[in-house]
Amino acid sequence: MRRLAATAARVRATLRTRAALGLGPATTPIMLLVPVGVLLGPSGTGVLPASAVVRLDVVISIGLATLGLFVGIAAGTQRGAVRRLASASTAEGAVTMLVVSAATFALLRAWSVPLELSAVLTAASLGIAAAASAAPALAEREYPALRMAARVADLDDVLPILAGGVLLSVTASGTGRLVADLLLTVGTGIAIGLGGWLLLERAEGAERGVFVIGTLALLGGAAAYLGTSPLVVGLTAGLFWALTPGRADQVAAADLRKVQHPLVVLLLITAGAGLEVSLIGIWLFAPYVLFRLAGKLLGGWVASRIAPQVAPSDLGAYLISPGVLGIAFSLNLQQVVAEPAAPIVFAVATGAVVSELLALIVAPARES
Amino acid sequence: MRRLAALGITIAVVWVVVALPNPASGGRSTALALGFALIAAALTGTLFQRIRLPRVSGYLVFGMICGPYLANIITRPMARDLQLVNGLAIALIAMIAGLELNYARLKPRLGAMTRLGSITVGLLYAAMIPLLWIAWPWLPIYPEAAGVTRLALTILLTTVIVSFSPTVTIAVIADTRARGPLSEMVLAVVVITDLALIILFSIAMQFVRWSSGAATATDVSLLARLLWEIIGSFAFGAMVGALFALYLRHVRREVTIVLIGVCALLSELGPRLHFEPLLAALAAGLVVENIAQASGDELKEAVERGALPVLIVFFAGAGASLHLDALAAIGVTAAVVSAVRLGLIRGASNVAARVAGVDPATGQYVWMGLISQAGVTLGLTILVAREFPDWGLRVQSLMVALIALHELIGPVLFRAALARTGEIGRMDEPR
Repeated sequence: MRRLAATAARVRATLRTRAALGLGPATTPIMLLVPVGVLLGPSGTGVLPASAVVRLDVVISIGLATLGLFVGIAAGTQRGAVRRLASASTAEGAVTMLVVSAATFALLRAWSVPLELSAVLTAASLGIAAAASAAPALAEREYPALRMAARVADLDDVLPILAGGVLLSVTASGTGRLVADLLLTVGTGIAIGLGGWLLLERAEGAERGVFVIGTLALLGGAAAYLGTSPLVVGLTAGLFWALTPGRADQVAAADLRKVQHPLVVLLLITAGAGLEVSLIGIWLFAPYVLFRLAGKLLGGWVASRIAPQVAPSDLGAYLISPGVLGIAFSLNLQQVVAEPAAPIVFAVATGAVVSELLALIVAPARES
Repeated sequence: MRRLAALGITIAVVWVVVALPNPASGGRSTALALGFALIAAALTGTLFQRIRLPRVSGYLVFGMICGPYLANIITRPMARDLQLVNGLAIALIAMIAGLELNYARLKPRLGAMTRLGSITVGLLYAAMIPLLWIAWPWLPIYPEAAGVTRLALTILLTTVIVSFSPTVTIAVIADTRARGPLSEMVLAVVVITDLALIILFSIAMQFVRWSSGAATATDVSLLARLLWEIIGSFAFGAMVGALFALYLRHVRREVTIVLIGVCALLSELGPRLHFEPLLAALAAGLVVENIAQASGDELKEAVERGALPVLIVFFAGAGASLHLDALAAIGVTAAVVSAVRLGLIRGASNVAARVAGVDPATGQYVWMGLISQAGVTLGLTILVAREFPDWGLRVQSLMVALIALHELIGPVLFRAALARTGEIGRMDEPR
């Protein structure tokens, strides 16, 4: 009874926060905005007709590049015990990916689910989407365990982004062009990053805003045009800015905060509006949530064994909240393969909503 | 130097991306076109500013050079993608115009402005109609037309040729941060006369329909449609403006995003209700500026922050869509008509300024702000071409060539006039 009351209090507290309403910059407002998107979309009230959803495709590309850029800047600016932390984060992400991919693949093979994409590709996509986590909200970072979880969540996005880039490349042009495609993706990110680096530091006011939005659109647009991953292109540019001299990363991060929130809101509403309910999607949803929960808990435990100095033993419980990245990746996959990816988008988006709720229940009590 | 290097890199990246065979792109060029236009056109605009030309011209020239008719870095689909912001841009620009028209400040000169506008347009009609009537057999439009049909066509063509561009006028004022008697005079004249010209255009179209036997002269629905479009647009815009003013007074958060949202609402919902977005947005701006008195730093910053990227994309898209082929095909005729128009506008506005009692220091430069033509003219031309495809398409070719010329010449002349009267940059000074 006390446990139930505590959970209810946590739910109330979360819903009271600005973040749950989509007004805070740090936490992902998935629980609210994906259902709002469904409500507004063609299968809901139709306020956003199918033609408008197609037009919003541009938001997906730019939103993906923005997320990649944030992860790149965050990964490039980690200091201190970064190596141990990076290995812990990578291990956590890799274990989640493996658990979800392997378990889903086994289930798909055993039950012979009729998929439009291959079982390997479906399982790998769900694994990649499951690996990302949301960083706990800034206000909560005063707790040591949450602070560490936030840093792990910042870094555990790198692996799924890279794995997603490889998967998209293979899906779009086969294994024969994999190296050329990856070089092109990274090269595009570096070249656009270089252009931005030359511009951002010395520009001011509205002009700087134009350059930041322009760079984001160029990163997302070039990747979408080439059929590669805007997440990887953004990640590369973010790393480039963080690792090169100067303060282009800080300038960009400061300006990006102003566009991050509207972009995330639009991305989630677009995801919700574009959801297509299908039997396969519903079928994939439950195993996805379950395997992801198991993967996160196991991955957190493995990370705490690899780097006990930095990762708490219950790290996985802090990383259940999925963030936007998983949904973003599934939307990117849908951009490349179109209709066959619809069940994956459905499973990942609805799974993210349920995982957010699970995170409220499973999150450990906070101690300072 | 850094900016030149960044411009070079941006152009090279987009050139390579567009040149590569990309079956996977699936026509996804919108974000690429937006990013390219935002960065490269903004940089070209800055270069133009350094050589004392309007940044707006830089955006246009960038679009024209990189567009499908020359370098083809902005391909035809990309040029179409850039026009996605057109509706939003026109609404935003009209709203800025409304925000700049403060009745209390303009009241002492409002009579002079109205007189100046009406006399200028009256003189232009009086001179242009006989000239076009005489030159009609040599114009590549419908040389065999005679009698009343020829008169009706001449009046219609005059209306389209005379029309001005509120869009470019406001864009140059916003871009140069200009404020003063000339910018206010030109803005008011352009807005008032274009409003009158839209009504005159509807009457001229009805005259053409009647002369060609396509309609009866007593079409009552025309008047009702006109009233709905004009009064309805103002009422709709005023209502949206009042709601926005309430938001500015009581909430005052995320003003840039809400401003863009308001303009998107006016541009998307307006046409569905048969309202003119330009008029509706102008009314919204007028209400916010004159009735709600909610303007403050938040709104100023929001306008500055929101307008710049929209203007860049709008004008880069306009440059990329300039039909240079039409200019090449009908160039000589267009150049002659343009020169005659320019001379008549100069003469008419100088006479009108003297008659209206406008201060000569301002009056002598008004004509330089009346040369630009863009969205309104193109809109009127498209209506003609759609209804009368046989000769209307030839009118469209001539007008597209004229718009191309006036879009390039107009902003340069207007900026030069603002520089001569010392109004550039005065928008940032306290009122």
